[in-house]
Amino acid sequence: MARVRELATMPSLGGLYARVGLGSIPGASLLGRLPLLPASRRGAELPDERLRLAGVVADRDGVARYARVCGFTLRDELPGTYPHVMSFPLQLALMASGSFPFSPLGLVHIADEITQHRRVGAGEPLDLEVEAVGLRPHPKGRAFTLVVRASAGGEPVWEEAGTILRRGGGGTDAVREPGPPVPEELGAGAEWRLPGDLGRRYAAVSGDRNPIHLHPLGARAFGFSRPIAHGMWTMARCLAQLEGRTGDAFTVAVSFRKPVLLPGRVCFAMAEHGGRIAFALRGPGAGETPVHLRGELRPI
Amino acid sequence: MSPSPRQAVVLASNRIPFARQSGPYARASNQDMLTAALDGLVDRAGIAGERLGEVAGGAVLKHSRDFNLTRESLLGTRIAPETPACDVGQACGTGLEAAILVANKIALGQVESGIACGVDSTSDAPIAINEGLRGVLLEINAARSNLDRVRALGKVRPGQIVPEIPRNEEPRTGMSMGEHAAIMAREWGIAREPQDELAAVSHRNLAAAYDGGFEDDLVTAYLGLERDHNLRPDSTPEQLAKLDPVFGGAEGTMTAGNSTPLSDGASAVLLGTEEWGAERGLAPLARLVDAETAAIDHVGAREGLLMAPAYAVPRLLARRGLELQDFDLYEIHEAFASQVLCTLAAWEDPVFCRERLGRDGPLGPIDRDRLNVRGGSLAAGHPFAATGGRIVGNLAKLLSARGGGRGLISICAAGGQGVVAILES
Repeated sequence: MARVRELATMPSLGGLYARVGLGSIPGASLLGRLPLLPASRRGAELPDERLRLAGVVADRDGVARYARVCGFTLRDELPGTYPHVMSFPLQLALMASGSFPFSPLGLVHIADEITQHRRVGAGEPLDLEVEAVGLRPHPKGRAFTLVVRASAGGEPVWEEAGTILRRGGGGTDAVREPGPPVPEELGAGAEWRLPGDLGRRYAAVSGDRNPIHLHPLGARAFGFSRPIAHGMWTMARCLAQLEGRTGDAFTVAVSFRKPVLLPGRVCFAMAEHGGRIAFALRGPGAGETPVHLRGELRPI
Repeated sequence: MSPSPRQAVVLASNRIPFARQSGPYARASNQDMLTAALDGLVDRAGIAGERLGEVAGGAVLKHSRDFNLTRESLLGTRIAPETPACDVGQACGTGLEAAILVANKIALGQVESGIACGVDSTSDAPIAINEGLRGVLLEINAARSNLDRVRALGKVRPGQIVPEIPRNEEPRTGMSMGEHAAIMAREWGIAREPQDELAAVSHRNLAAAYDGGFEDDLVTAYLGLERDHNLRPDSTPEQLAKLDPVFGGAEGTMTAGNSTPLSDGASAVLLGTEEWGAERGLAPLARLVDAETAAIDHVGAREGLLMAPAYAVPRLLARRGLELQDFDLYEIHEAFASQVLCTLAAWEDPVFCRERLGRDGPLGPIDRDRLNVRGGSLAAGHPFAATGGRIVGNLAKLLSARGGGRGLISICAAGGQGVVAILES
């Protein structure tokens, strides 16, 4: 059983970014003046601890702005992906701690699974808990699971398991983890035009200010010619597209594939099968188009 | 008249609390609010996944992108996406007109069920670009060559940057609705005191309705708001008497307290045949028996802008063979306290009833204890297209709760129009 570290307040994102942020951008260390963590101080194992903050209430204005950017209707309940945003400073704080084996900004979010046990009221105080578990080899490096749990009055209402990849140094014999199954035929869906500032807009409502999403220069540092959309934005936008079909309790699982370059166009497609909804985000046009995201929604 | 083969019944209703302009719903769009009202109705009536005959609704202040507002809202709810929807508009009569439309389709056997709904946001209101700039942009769009585009662009003038903000103004008279109502109040000699008294009673009645739990199955909280934002339970005529006039000049009788505030909100009413309701365990609350719409000539200054209900009601009574006193409850939309009082005064006035309505005698007074017994628009607020649904849901529940009876609804609307209807239980 992991040790629980109870926090009194939500960690400040500004402080966390200042602590860990720029140090992990390739090339930035050449400046030589940034307070970098020596590699030796980082642990080899995931910390055996949970961060917990009780009684977190969503900011209504923040929910409204998030809903607008992601395409959700503004309701009295939280969007299904919103507790991820509420707990984001905790996630970053966990990964920014000196004992965490990896620097957070070089990590890649490759899959995510969210379970909503019931509708969560936008005014409900939530007890949030984050923990990193299951460090394991991955064909492209090492992976672990970032777990977030939200409960209200002791009742679990929402949880998330994000699969995070650290590139390099992995066991090449590890098997690729299976993503959500995608049926052969996905119905025709929607085409979305994504503006060039989408990454900055989502950063403003989510607090996730990884430079890879914000500006071409930030993206270039990671080997991309243009900024890429946040994976969690693509997941949220797909879930928003399914509103009215999700029911009160559901699990939504996605795997993030080829990054979506901004500005750009993507096609959403879905198919209902035996109560489950399979969906995908692809590049526009016919024929062989890149798959950006595959997902499945299962009612509970 | 020939009897209708069947009548539509009100089965359930829901609305979100109404908010004052730029208040708790400042960030909510019409689509957000209408979706919330519809989803609350779906929950209350247990009709998730149902394919309904039709959803009819609308908004008075509408963005051009919201051309299919009702349909787009429906698609965000748990109503089956195979349910068709249409947008309707009749200014403040929109909500009631939508209910009449759905009820008529049910009565004719074209559909078995439907929802009438309405929404308005004065906070998230559309702002149009300046007419001059719009002309230039259309010209640029139509231009065939770059040279033509540059020429068109040269016509842009700095003053054209100023946008057009929607105003609460009658297009053909240029006067606001409040100014029109002030003229009516002067013509009918409506004093300040009875207006303030009507407003205070409205607040008192609505506050009692919330306190007594009456609103529990009519209203669903939204964005943290649980009761109407405008409601002031401790409002008294003495306090209201202190407010300065806002319409009709310094000698005017109309204030911010006895006029409805600009509001945001949405409402929805589920209608169906009795059989359709019974199959889903929904007891009928009231039948929508008949309705009438009237219009007057306010442009030719032959009648006050908001006097059309005074004409619609007697026509409806004549068709049904009823007297004005044959009702257990009256719901007269309180656009302004003066509008309600002008209408009641007109019905009691022998000259008006003879010369304007062509009657032998006046319709006579109503028992004021039966008027807006659970509050009205002065207390709740008035998101234009949402008011009809609020009143229909309210009256249907009142009639059902008292074990039967007959109720009259009267709503005035911009453009010199009035929509009225009869509910029975």
